[in-house]
Amino acid sequence: MLKKRLIFTLLYSEGHFMLSRNFRLQKVGDLQWLKSNYNFSHISFSIDELIVLDVTRGERNAEAFCEALKSLTDGCFVPIAAGGGVRTTDQARILLRSGADKVVVNTPLFENETLIEELASEFGQQCVVGSVDIKRDIDGEYQVWSDSGHQCEGGSAAQSIAEVIQQPVGEIYLNSMDRDGTGQGYDLHLLDLLPKVMPKPVILAGGVGNAIHLAEGIADHRVDAVATAHLFNFVGDGLKQARQSLIERGVDLPVWDIQLLEQHLWTNKTAQCLPA
Amino acid sequence: MTIKSNLTVIDYGMGNIWSVLSALRYLGCNARVSSDPDVIVQSSSLLLPGVGSFRKAMIALQERGLDQAIIDAVQRKGSKILGICLGMQLMGSRGSEDGDMIGLGLIPNPVDKFTPQEIGTGKVPHIGFDLVHSSPESTLFRGLSRAADFYFVHSYRMLPEELKGNVSTCVYGSDFVAAYEQDNIYATQFHPEKSQTNGLVLLKNFLAQKYDA
Repeated sequence: MLKKRLIFTLLYSEGHFMLSRNFRLQKVGDLQWLKSNYNFSHISFSIDELIVLDVTRGERNAEAFCEALKSLTDGCFVPIAAGGGVRTTDQARILLRSGADKVVVNTPLFENETLIEELASEFGQQCVVGSVDIKRDIDGEYQVWSDSGHQCEGGSAAQSIAEVIQQPVGEIYLNSMDRDGTGQGYDLHLLDLLPKVMPKPVILAGGVGNAIHLAEGIADHRVDAVATAHLFNFVGDGLKQARQSLIERGVDLPVWDIQLLEQHLWTNKTAQCLPA
Repeated sequence: MTIKSNLTVIDYGMGNIWSVLSALRYLGCNARVSSDPDVIVQSSSLLLPGVGSFRKAMIALQERGLDQAIIDAVQRKGSKILGICLGMQLMGSRGSEDGDMIGLGLIPNPVDKFTPQEIGTGKVPHIGFDLVHSSPESTLFRGLSRAADFYFVHSYRMLPEELKGNVSTCVYGSDFVAAYEQDNIYATQFHPEKSQTNGLVLLKNFLAQKYDA
């Protein structure tokens, strides 16, 4: 039985990590800030997966993003997905060589299906995460948006999602633009937009403010993983505590014992690597 | 602090060795990366990673003369080896991904695709964290819970039938080989370098293991 997952999403833009609220970005701090004030190497032991997205509006500096990715992923021993502005197989390959195991795509799902096919054939379907941003219109109807929330795809959201699932993507990242950064909790109605028989894992994102919200998302049988991108709600040991409270509620997350690591790795470290 | 080690990570152009090296560095092990058969024959400790198709990977090993170098090091010199994911599969007797292909033969069982009969409603590939049931005699799992979580991503598997040695299993519909160890031969179908604290402890156990041929 596969376990459910707790995912942390980091939003990067031009050397800084960002807070997003309804897709409006606010600068929080640079890599140094993240490492010193957020103790990233420590919280990475409280998550099951890391997603790093370059959300720069306008032209991106791919080289700088890859350097940040390398620095973040060194010492992070979980699957890592990265994306933001990937438009070619070569761009994806560079991310995969900078510490990523999977590539997150959004706009090409709607504008360049050939790229999705190329990515799947080159790296395997399991390597492609289809990210879908969803917002209610003034009539309360759900609509799918692309291009960092600038382009409305029109038609019904359920139809758009069904078309994304048909493509060779390994999993779906469902993100509520209305709840994004609000801390009000997930929009569980997004899950009603999915087909009845869902052949691919679903990551739910947008709106988490506390551990109860994570528990609400993960309790839904249609959800395989819950994500949060809020840099402040889980600052300090917030993620560690949230994970602990989920496990105490009986959520079937993988169990990581940091004490075990301390017992086994920090004692007598020098003796472990001698030639046999 | 980095420690000089005699561990060689075999580079044959398949898969991401970045994360394996990152985990080894974290453990204080400064491994050598090589695609040179002479270096590999002389290493007392080998790590065979890999992501991709069995057939392509086996051809890549053969083209570089690495298949024989690995067999010589492990079977003649008694060097220890850890195969990870595709690396474990390549150590099998043969694989059927993209057409039948002979393997390194360090583990006697073949590697085939999950069948619908085995997995029932389960999806292929088998991706995510799943429980591995290890035996108390296992050295790789020393210090870990007998049922511990590890990260899997694969569509092909080895079955435990008639396999001698120490076999740890995962249940995906039915049992398959999650890890194997016998004498100087170690292998994991999962990715220890993507399995948090459990994976780091397992890698440490491999590094600490002495095998006297």
